[in-house]
Amino acid sequence: MIHQRRRLRNALLYTLLVIVLVGLVFPVLFMALTSFKSVGEVNRIPPTIIPRYPTWENYPFMARAWDFGLTLRNTVILAGGSGLAATILGAMAAYAFSRGTFRGRTLMYSLLVASMAVPAMVTLGPIFIAYLQFNLLDTHIGLILVFTAGGMPLATLLQFAYFNAIPRELDDAAAIDGAGRFMTLFRIIMPIAMPGVFVSFLLLFIGGWNEFLFVFTLSTSPDTQVLTTKLYTIPPREADYQSSNLDLVATAGMFVLLPLVPLLMLTQRQLVEGITFGAVQG
Amino acid sequence: MAQAKATSAPQSRLQDIFASRYAVFYVLVLPAFLLRMIYTVIPIIQTVLISFTNRTIMGGKYIGLRNYESLTRDATLIGSLGWTLLYTGASAVAETVIGLGIAVLLMQNLRLRWLSNFIMLLPWVVAPMLAAVAFRILYFEDGGILNAILQELGFGNAAVRWLSDAETARFSVIAMTVWKNVSWVALIFMAAIGSLSKEVLEAAAVDGANTLQRFWYVTLPLLKPAIYLVLLLRAMAEVQTFEQIYGLTRGGPGSATKTLALYTFERFFQQLRYGYGSAVNIVLLLLTIVIGAIFAWLLYRSREI
Repeated sequence: MIHQRRRLRNALLYTLLVIVLVGLVFPVLFMALTSFKSVGEVNRIPPTIIPRYPTWENYPFMARAWDFGLTLRNTVILAGGSGLAATILGAMAAYAFSRGTFRGRTLMYSLLVASMAVPAMVTLGPIFIAYLQFNLLDTHIGLILVFTAGGMPLATLLQFAYFNAIPRELDDAAAIDGAGRFMTLFRIIMPIAMPGVFVSFLLLFIGGWNEFLFVFTLSTSPDTQVLTTKLYTIPPREADYQSSNLDLVATAGMFVLLPLVPLLMLTQRQLVEGITFGAVQG
Repeated sequence: MAQAKATSAPQSRLQDIFASRYAVFYVLVLPAFLLRMIYTVIPIIQTVLISFTNRTIMGGKYIGLRNYESLTRDATLIGSLGWTLLYTGASAVAETVIGLGIAVLLMQNLRLRWLSNFIMLLPWVVAPMLAAVAFRILYFEDGGILNAILQELGFGNAAVRWLSDAETARFSVIAMTVWKNVSWVALIFMAAIGSLSKEVLEAAAVDGANTLQRFWYVTLPLLKPAIYLVLLLRAMAEVQTFEQIYGLTRGGPGSATKTLALYTFERFFQQLRYGYGSAVNIVLLLLTIVIGAIFAWLLYRSREI
């Protein structure tokens, strides 16, 4: 009797689990499958889920149309550069907040936290006008600065939590050995807190990779376009204006997603740790 | 987020030396702090100032509160404000409820854990613009997959107009947002449930409470702070949503899914009416502050008890 009830319960739970997982994966999975369809198949009614005659041809076509190499390079420069800058500057600030007692400490910390609530759209207008005046529109450095500033609260708070867990005796020992604060931070504290430093960079890198609005408004030429802003440029296909181009749209989407998939698989544990870091300690 | 605790007063000579040389801490903290303030506080002040002008790309002059007077008669703004509230409330609540359900489900020690971890992270790692692309494919109306599946399940020839009917488009947009964020919420709740004291739950089990009772009378009250925290974070994110809605519907059909952020964008960047766009922005900022204050207060109170 009890045995039967447990079996029933498990069957119910697994059914729910499968529904949830299928629901979560389906939009992305269907996009991936659609990218392997031919023009003919993508316009078929009723549509197929799994392509009957899978083809690669959309990938080289879209890569040429997008100048994929340049776009990928821009995205890596932007996400990597800003991720690195924010992680290092954030580590410095986190170290000061963790170890220092100085005037304005609580105020600065609170302002950094509060600034996370400011909608991007509210700051974007004046940034656009200022960039217009200072000739920063359409430059890598201008975009990297915006992204770095955007990632600063996360980089600071996350590393602050990791640094706080390191005993202060280490700092004292380093000071006795004659190490200054910078040396202590970069040679002792950051290496020990490397998991936290890495998680911070990882979250900022993915955030930068996926950002759209700032590049969309502050960049005007292909030289600074990134993958997400290219999602709009779906080239027309010769000689068939009637058909839908969902296969090309899907391929464009795969260009944004695919480079992140290996990263996602390799760093699952770190990502979950980073995502949930604030929840447990409240 | 825990407030930074002041380190204890200097005790040893060593700490005295550090305290006397605290200038170095400013060198450490100011680059990060100033950069962040330059990109948030100064733009906010400028937005306020510009909102009192009729500035366009050609320049403009001070016009006092005229933009704000116009806002009170602007039907698009009123509609956009209402939709932003509906979208924020519906998304945040749905994400929290469903996310909590998924968290509880995944904590039942089922197999497939390796697979579920990867799938849970997938919607989170998808860019908002990419979510819009994926859902544009799903919601395709002339022979799209979602309509085909509905038909297959026996809903007849119901060709749902996912994006071209105003009410349905609103639902479609909320559904996309919930899909994008629900696994993030579930991950937070899994961490929160994992950190709850096992003894309380076991004591309830010993007292004869069944699974459902234990969840309702023990787990849920203990999770209150986490629930308010999630609601706060989600509502603050949802209220300013731009990207995924711009990608999916451009705010349409008509203005049905035009959030305040989209309306600002239209005025400021498409019509280049900086003054009016800034006034809309101020409405968005005030709404963010109000929502933040309400949930921060709830969160604060839930910790007191």
